[in-house]
Amino acid sequence: MKVTAIAVNTFREGIRDRILYLPFFFALMAVVFSRVLAVLAVGDRVKIIKDVGLASISLFGMLIAVLIGTGLVYKEIDKKTIYTLLAKPIERWQFLLGKFLGLVLTLFVLTAAMALAFLAVILVHTSRVDGRLVLAVVFIFLELVLITAVAMLFSCFSTPILSSVFTLSFYIIGHFSWGLQTLIEKAPPGPARVALRVLYSILPDLENFNYKTDAVYGLKVLPQYYAFSALYGLAYTLFVLALAGLIFKKRDFV
Amino acid sequence: MRAARAARRGYASLALTLLLLASGAGLMVLKSVVDRIPRQKIPGASIIYIPSGKFLKYATLGYSSLAADLIYLWAIQYYSTYTVVDRFQNLEHIFSIISELDPRYNDPYEVGALIAAYEARDLDLAYKILDLGLARNPGQWLFPFEAGHYAQMAKDYETARRYYDKAARIPGAPEIVRRLHAAASFKAMDLKTAWEMWLEVRDTAQDERTRKIADNHLYQVKSAADIAVIKDALARFRARYRRLPAGLEELERVRLLASVPRDLDGRDYLYDPQQGEVSPPSIWWKR
Amino acid sequence: MATVLNIEDLHKTFISGFIPKKRRILKGISFSVTAGEIFGFLGPNGAGKTTTLKCALGLIFPDRGKIEIFGRHHLDARAKRRVGYLPEHPYFYEYLTATEFLDFYGQLFLMDRVERKEKTAALLRQVGLERAVDLPLRKFSRGMLQRVGLAQALINDPALVLLDEPLGGLDPLGRKELRDIIARLKQDGKTVFLCSHILQDIEMICDRVAIVAGGRVVSQGALLDLISEKVLYTEVTLSGLAEEDLIDLGEPVSIRSDRILIKVFQDANVDALLELVRERRGRVHSLVPRTETLEDIFVEMVKQS
Repeated sequence: MKVTAIAVNTFREGIRDRILYLPFFFALMAVVFSRVLAVLAVGDRVKIIKDVGLASISLFGMLIAVLIGTGLVYKEIDKKTIYTLLAKPIERWQFLLGKFLGLVLTLFVLTAAMALAFLAVILVHTSRVDGRLVLAVVFIFLELVLITAVAMLFSCFSTPILSSVFTLSFYIIGHFSWGLQTLIEKAPPGPARVALRVLYSILPDLENFNYKTDAVYGLKVLPQYYAFSALYGLAYTLFVLALAGLIFKKRDFV
Repeated sequence: MRAARAARRGYASLALTLLLLASGAGLMVLKSVVDRIPRQKIPGASIIYIPSGKFLKYATLGYSSLAADLIYLWAIQYYSTYTVVDRFQNLEHIFSIISELDPRYNDPYEVGALIAAYEARDLDLAYKILDLGLARNPGQWLFPFEAGHYAQMAKDYETARRYYDKAARIPGAPEIVRRLHAAASFKAMDLKTAWEMWLEVRDTAQDERTRKIADNHLYQVKSAADIAVIKDALARFRARYRRLPAGLEELERVRLLASVPRDLDGRDYLYDPQQGEVSPPSIWWKR
Repeated sequence: MATVLNIEDLHKTFISGFIPKKRRILKGISFSVTAGEIFGFLGPNGAGKTTTLKCALGLIFPDRGKIEIFGRHHLDARAKRRVGYLPEHPYFYEYLTATEFLDFYGQLFLMDRVERKEKTAALLRQVGLERAVDLPLRKFSRGMLQRVGLAQALINDPALVLLDEPLGGLDPLGRKELRDIIARLKQDGKTVFLCSHILQDIEMICDRVAIVAGGRVVSQGALLDLISEKVLYTEVTLSGLAEEDLIDLGEPVSIRSDRILIKVFQDANVDALLELVRERRGRVHSLVPRTETLEDIFVEMVKQS
């Protein structure tokens, strides 16, 4: 299938892109370093390891998502490899979808590798692997998939630096949602509050994917919450991809 | 001509190598000299100026528990740097920030309270921190238990009884809490009773954490008792010989002590012959 | 003969910049290409050649106008399947080898693995890259990239091949090889459309041309029709005569030792000159009639527009 061909090709390009190995190795080092850091703690040492490990996967994973998302589409346009590709009997949405799936696959491989290193360290310290930690990583991955889609959206019409800035802004806004919530409560009822409410529902709420605390403290999470987060991620990703498809469809390649 | 050029190149690399070694050695020497200067501030002290935990929680974008960890680790270093004399000014502020960032993180409440109680000697602050801990973690019987313990050590029996009552009502609290509360009239908590109490908590501990905390308290009690014994012997030595002994073994030699006591880990107590001061080798809450 | 590519009244204006500025590039391009011919699309830089080509391929969306390929709408997949395209300054995925690259493009035509393998090997041989089949594309020279670009344009055995400045940047040997390949494509029954501004090559291989300047087609037709066989002047190099003898016959261009190069503007004068040389027992070293070239027409057309 054409989409598969493009996806595989994008994956090959992603995996062979050496710039990605920088955040990857930083993540591995952070996981190892967490063990050293934990020695300084008084009391529960494993908590530190879990916190640092999950935060590293999240942070460096985001770096990887932004790098590949903003770079890959822009590079095609800039380097004009896209001309011969689009001249073939292929729809533009097929190209975009193929690219996205390839990026997601690259992200998956790197995230899985970081996660394995993390879980190995946890295993050494606690002699067991908590399913909730794995779930936390899965939802970190879902958040990263959404970030990749956003990065790709911006790179359809913007330079890599601007796209990175926009994507990072998306990430920051996404985690500030609860600040907005507080603002809504403090606002006087009226048009201002309604406007804020509308804004709140459109803006991404990336805290939905944050199960780090629950995993670290072994708290029970109802399956409904997991299901809702997954659906929210899927819906928002589709929304972003559709937007990207529309913009890309009408674009002139000068 | 070529030989001369080659010789010059050889000199150049030799000079560079020497420079490398010299600067490397210089750096190491400088570092060790600077490290020995007692500090008024330690790096990262600007954390004190963060207005509130709430603000920080938003600013950390979902990494708040990591931030809590890092601030807590920093606080441990900060409060073990005894040369910073005004470090207790911000005790409440720093530990309230940590609590805001990660309310379920138990260790900071305990460590904060015990720094407040034993080092800053501010009991009210210790109660405040432990109350906060209990408010955010209603199932933790250790928080009111420790508060009661501090109150009892300070001979505030009314407060102690209130706290033991609170602790006893929490499911999972051990038998000893009920017993302490039930005692009709409180004795001053002497070191022997404290030792027995913490020993029981340690032996009946359901989890590693409680066991560790009890163990640390045992260490503190033993060192307090041992230091009292050593100090008594030192006083008698001084009365007899009009000087301080050069080392603690002298006390043993002159039969003022049967044997020099060691701490719970088997290590020797530190003795300063100039001042006649005895102190434990470890900061007990950092073990 | 069937019309393979038909373009009618194509318009395109680009709006760019923060304060929107309009640039009209195509102001009504019309021409058509018949099956089996080699069609040259000429024009100075900025005339709109590449833009026209990209409109035909669906890379740019025209404001107005009609484009038909094999009688179908130009974006129809059935049309696109029979088209091959080589862009100017081709650049491809650096990290792929030549074989991997062609294999990937073959997948886009839904060719099965066996077919892809055969075609890839055959094409790379055809363009002279057998020795670089497993070399990553980032190590390719400009000329090699051009060749692999041609290979990917031919991977689907297209009936219409669109080439944008294919001879640019090649050394003389490369240009000759490419001209031969294009000629062979015609022999295989394919139609070739090429944009260029290297007129000598166009003159050598094209059947029909269109000259575009300022966003419009200013001249169109068979090459032979455009270039008349009219002789502009004749250049004669001779010796054994003195300059004074030649004043009436022509215009001396250069005089060296006793060799004179002279431009003669009328045929009658050429005959008279040859008579004179024979009389005086001189020698004619060369005689070259200079006809109108494509370059002359080109410059003329562009100046007019």
